[in-house]
Amino acid sequence: MPIEQIDSKTLLNDLLKEIPSRIEKIRQTRDSFLTDAVLLGEIPSPTYGEAERIRTVVDRFRENGLDSPMIDEFGNASAQLAGSNGESSILIMAHADSVFSPEVRHEIQVGSDSLTGPGIADNALGLAAMISLPRLLQELNIQLNDNLILVANSKSLGRANLEGARGFLETMSLPVRAGICVEGSTLGRLSYSGLGTLRGEITLQVPGDYNWKRFGASGAISHLTGLINQIREIPIPKEPKTQLVFGGLKCGSSYNTSPRQGSLRFEITSEGDEIIGKMENELNEICEQFSAETGTLVAMEVVAKRNNCGIPFSHPLVKTTRSIMQEAGITPQVDPSTGDLNALILGGLPAVTLGLTTVENLREINETVYLDPLYAGIAQLVTLIQAIDQGICET
Amino acid sequence: MSKKEANWLERNTFHHSIFWDLIKLVEEKERKNLKISLCIPTLNEEKTIGKEVLILRSELMERYPLVDEFAVIDSGSEDKTLEVASNYGADVYLASDILPEVGNKRGKGENLWKAIHQLKGDIICYVDADISNIHPRFVYGLVAPLIHRDEISYVKAFYDRPLNYSSGLRPSGGGRVTEILIRPLFSLFYPELSHIIQPLSGEYAARREVLEKIPFPIGYGVETSHLLDLYEMYGLETFAQTDLDRRVHRNQTTNALGKMSFGILQTFFNRLHAQGKLDKMPDLETFYRRFEVEDGNYHQLIQEVVEEERPPMIEIEGYLNRFNAS
Repeated sequence: MPIEQIDSKTLLNDLLKEIPSRIEKIRQTRDSFLTDAVLLGEIPSPTYGEAERIRTVVDRFRENGLDSPMIDEFGNASAQLAGSNGESSILIMAHADSVFSPEVRHEIQVGSDSLTGPGIADNALGLAAMISLPRLLQELNIQLNDNLILVANSKSLGRANLEGARGFLETMSLPVRAGICVEGSTLGRLSYSGLGTLRGEITLQVPGDYNWKRFGASGAISHLTGLINQIREIPIPKEPKTQLVFGGLKCGSSYNTSPRQGSLRFEITSEGDEIIGKMENELNEICEQFSAETGTLVAMEVVAKRNNCGIPFSHPLVKTTRSIMQEAGITPQVDPSTGDLNALILGGLPAVTLGLTTVENLREINETVYLDPLYAGIAQLVTLIQAIDQGICET
Repeated sequence: MSKKEANWLERNTFHHSIFWDLIKLVEEKERKNLKISLCIPTLNEEKTIGKEVLILRSELMERYPLVDEFAVIDSGSEDKTLEVASNYGADVYLASDILPEVGNKRGKGENLWKAIHQLKGDIICYVDADISNIHPRFVYGLVAPLIHRDEISYVKAFYDRPLNYSSGLRPSGGGRVTEILIRPLFSLFYPELSHIIQPLSGEYAARREVLEKIPFPIGYGVETSHLLDLYEMYGLETFAQTDLDRRVHRNQTTNALGKMSFGILQTFFNRLHAQGKLDKMPDLETFYRRFEVEDGNYHQLIQEVVEEERPPMIEIEGYLNRFNAS
């Protein structure tokens, strides 16, 4: 066996041995990152409205003594923890936006073994863990050779189409070894590939001069129902794995008035980019035909489109992550990502997404994260950073 | 409003944001060799106590060592208040275990009073346990004036009441009992004290040297009695107040507020009696004083309210003539 491989194995084994004591140490020093999770979670941060949460992140970076925290032109907050040689860097990213609007009361309740409130899992907890890394590394006596680049990226979800993460990566000039996206949900999550995705919105409008006397004439709700039925006729292959999800339907506001317009939001995910292209064409044709046949105005807008991407299951970064999870008592659940990981991998970086703890009621008002599993979740993150730093995850 | 009163309002009313630099505040505290204790009185507060302990301990003891001692003093909760508070690292005491030789009375004031014996700080900061939007400003905003200004010995909190807010101008933000009971009473008997914008707020910080000299009603009257007693001893100059922005807490029923008002009135009249204001009743003030806040400035509005009276109709000649009454 080559010396280099033996060294990597020994280094990894040494790191794995540290995990149990590390979990305990993190449990004892939990207060600062739990506090950050609560304080950040109580600042509403809808996509495109993250500014206040981002400012708080920058304040925290500064309070933690990081070099030149800043907010870039895309609205991301970033800072750097200088490594001892600093020739390369490790990128840690956590998205700062949430699916909840500012009208929702952002109150986090702190129980004995849990935190509950809108957006605490997705992604106040991930954000807090990322911010806390410099303090955690110090408390665990870990000095990295690489620089650690910490990014709270804005404009990640929904229509934003990873705008913040993509913008950051396009303008970043430092050489980066690898990246980790941090999510509160769910412990065991291991994403190393980005799923091909197309998100779109179909709007249907009954025109002002619509002939209500014609055969089959009806309001927007009936038309949208008909349109959905036609879309459901599109064959969805089992291989490559493909899924079509209707995620939102808006139409009408009363009991007795036929609405004149409505919209449908959907997402296609597929392991085959050609399938996505084909389904996009079919959707366009259905919309065009439906419009012509019913006398309505139907338009489809693609709000996000991404190709499949990923690193292999056998990549040392993925292999090392699995070993770390196993040692931390975490069962890996391979889950292709539709989030920020896509931007990292498409940007040419080996990267994974990790989840930190067990979660209930994800994306509901009473979203809950459990604390006991969290310490192992953070230990896996810290250990993976150290493994990358020691060159264990290189091909 | 007299010049002295206007001056007090200007000099002794703060906004928490001016104390944001906690490193400086901790340095000043250490330079003056002050110790600060934080006390949360509790009774069945399991829903909010965890967050208060977590955030205040983590931010004000671990990150910035402003607070030297943090205690939860409980009146005998039957829920998980004590378990949750100690899980997050608070020192937890039962009020009945402190000074057992004086016996045990059940009420928030009892816990505040016994805190003076139990805690060692030169400054004691009291924060209610039911604040759902707890933030470190609830403590540093109150202790900072005491750290910076030696002549101040008692600092009260006041807040926004967001439901009342409209177009940049808002009323002073007192609760119902403040507006309906306390402010009219102060306007009548202690006009200078009407400069305290929220006299009933449950968050305040004070020096041990004044707290140990005043009695503590164990129930609803404790906040009112503090103001009346310290005003009698030291005058208005001993007080300051800090705007802590928004405070979210549970709402009380009108019945509960009635009971609270009854307790406060007992405290109030006891003091009027002790200070001879009932036996030798002075001419009652006719100016009603309240507050408005606009763009961060606090204005006292003084309105003359003279309650004129008509005599019994039977004394009016015209009435007697009309109805042939004799």
